[in-house]
Amino acid sequence: MHFFRVVKWIAWKDLLSEYRNRENISSMFFFALNVILIFSFSFSLDPETLKEIMPGIIWVAFGFTAIIGLGKSFLIEVNNDCMEYFQCLPVPKGAIYLGKFLGNLLFMLTVEIVLFPLFVLFFNLTLLDQFLPLLLISTVATIGLSALGTLFSALTVQIRAREVMFPILLLPLSVPIFIGAVEATRGALSGDPLSSYQHWIELLGVFDVIFVVVSFWIFEFILDY
Amino acid sequence: MNAIRGISLSKSFQHYQVLKEISIEVAPGECYALFGPNGAGKTTLLRIFATLHRPTSGHFEIMGIDGKRDRPKLRALIFMIGHGSYLYDDLSVKENIQFAIGVRGGSVTDAEIKKALDQVGIGRFSRLHSRYLSAGMKKRLSIAKALLIKPKVLFLDEGYASLDERGVAMMNETIREFTKAGAAVLMTTHDRGPTAEVADRVGVLSRSTLKELTVKEMVEADALF
Repeated sequence: MHFFRVVKWIAWKDLLSEYRNRENISSMFFFALNVILIFSFSFSLDPETLKEIMPGIIWVAFGFTAIIGLGKSFLIEVNNDCMEYFQCLPVPKGAIYLGKFLGNLLFMLTVEIVLFPLFVLFFNLTLLDQFLPLLLISTVATIGLSALGTLFSALTVQIRAREVMFPILLLPLSVPIFIGAVEATRGALSGDPLSSYQHWIELLGVFDVIFVVVSFWIFEFILDY
Repeated sequence: MNAIRGISLSKSFQHYQVLKEISIEVAPGECYALFGPNGAGKTTLLRIFATLHRPTSGHFEIMGIDGKRDRPKLRALIFMIGHGSYLYDDLSVKENIQFAIGVRGGSVTDAEIKKALDQVGIGRFSRLHSRYLSAGMKKRLSIAKALLIKPKVLFLDEGYASLDERGVAMMNETIREFTKAGAAVLMTTHDRGPTAEVADRVGVLSRSTLKELTVKEMVEADALF
C-alpha cells in the first residue's frame, strides 16, 4: 500500500503541474498537428492506398510526439534540485519510476486521443468502427514507449547533450514497438477481424512487460548511484 | 549510541581530495555547527551523511544504521535542508508540503500544515504557487516540511542563508525544538552570532581536516580559518 501511495503522489504531482502549465502537452500536440498537416497536404491518394500508408503516418506522429514529451519528463525534477529529494526518500525508487511512467502514459494517451479526430478530418478516414481496436493498440504501444521514455529521460536529464542522447537511446529500442503498432494498426484500419492482428498486440504486450520490468529495476541504480 | 557517526571519511572529486579521513560524532539532542572556507568540504560531508554522495573511503552511521548497507532505513530518519528548495513551481505551498510528505509514505492534515506554516511565518501564503516565493520564503517552507516530518537527524546546509533577522530567530527556535525533542542537528554555516545561540559543539573544516572547538572558542576567535 505504501508503495502505491508513492506512485499515486508522483503521478498526481506530474498531472497537476502539467494541467497548470500545459508546457509538455501543448508542445506535443502542436508538433503532432504539424506532422498531420504536412502529410495530409503531401499525399492525395485513393482510400485503399491511404489505408496502406496511414499506419505509418499515425505512428510517425505518435513516435515523434513521444520524443518531445517524454524527453522533457524529468526536467521538472531538475529544477529546484527535486531529484536530490527523490534520492533521499526512504521509499523504493521503483515507485518513483512507476509514478513518472503513469503520468507520462496519461499525457501520451491524452494527446493521442485528441489527435485521432484530426486524422479522421484531414485524411477523410472513417474510424468509428475501428475506434476500440485502435484505442487498444495505441494504449498497448504507448505503454512500451512511455516505459522506455521515462527511463531514458531520467538517464539523460542531467547531461548536457540530453536532446541528442534521448532519441539516440529511445529510438533503436522502440523499433519493436513501432513495428508491432504499425502492423496492428494496418489490420485495424483495413477492417480485418481482431484475431488476424491479435498476435501483434500480444507481441506489444510482451515488450511492454519486458520494458516496464527492466526499467523499474534499472531505475533504482540511476537514482541511487 | 551516536545520532551521527562518521569514521575516517574521505572524498575525492577527480584528483581533488575534499575530505581526508574526517571523523565526527554528534549525539542525539545535540547541535553541531560546521564552519570552514568555501570549498572546504562542509556541504560534501553533509551530503555524504544525507546519502547523496558515497564516500571514497571510510564509513558512517546514522542512529546506528550503516550508511552503506541499509540506506532506505537510514533515509527514513533524516531530512536535509539544502541549497535546493525541492519545490515544484506550479504547486501551491500547501500542495508542495502534501507532496513532500506523501511521497515519503507519510500523511499530514490541513490543520497540521497550517500550524507549521504559521510557525514559520508563511501561513497566509499557503495557496500561493511556489514559483512566486522569495528565497527566504522557500527556506521557511523547507523548515515547515522539517517540522512536519520530524526527522531524528536534521541536516542544514547554510541554514541561515536567505533568511531575514526574524527568519534567523525562527530557524534557531526550530533547531532548539528539534534538539529538545532528542533530534541531532548538523549544520554548515558562516554566521557565528546566531550559531553561538544554538550550537553545542563547533567544528572547523579546512584543508581537508576537521578541528573541533568549543562554542566559546568559536565566538572569541579572531578568525576561524
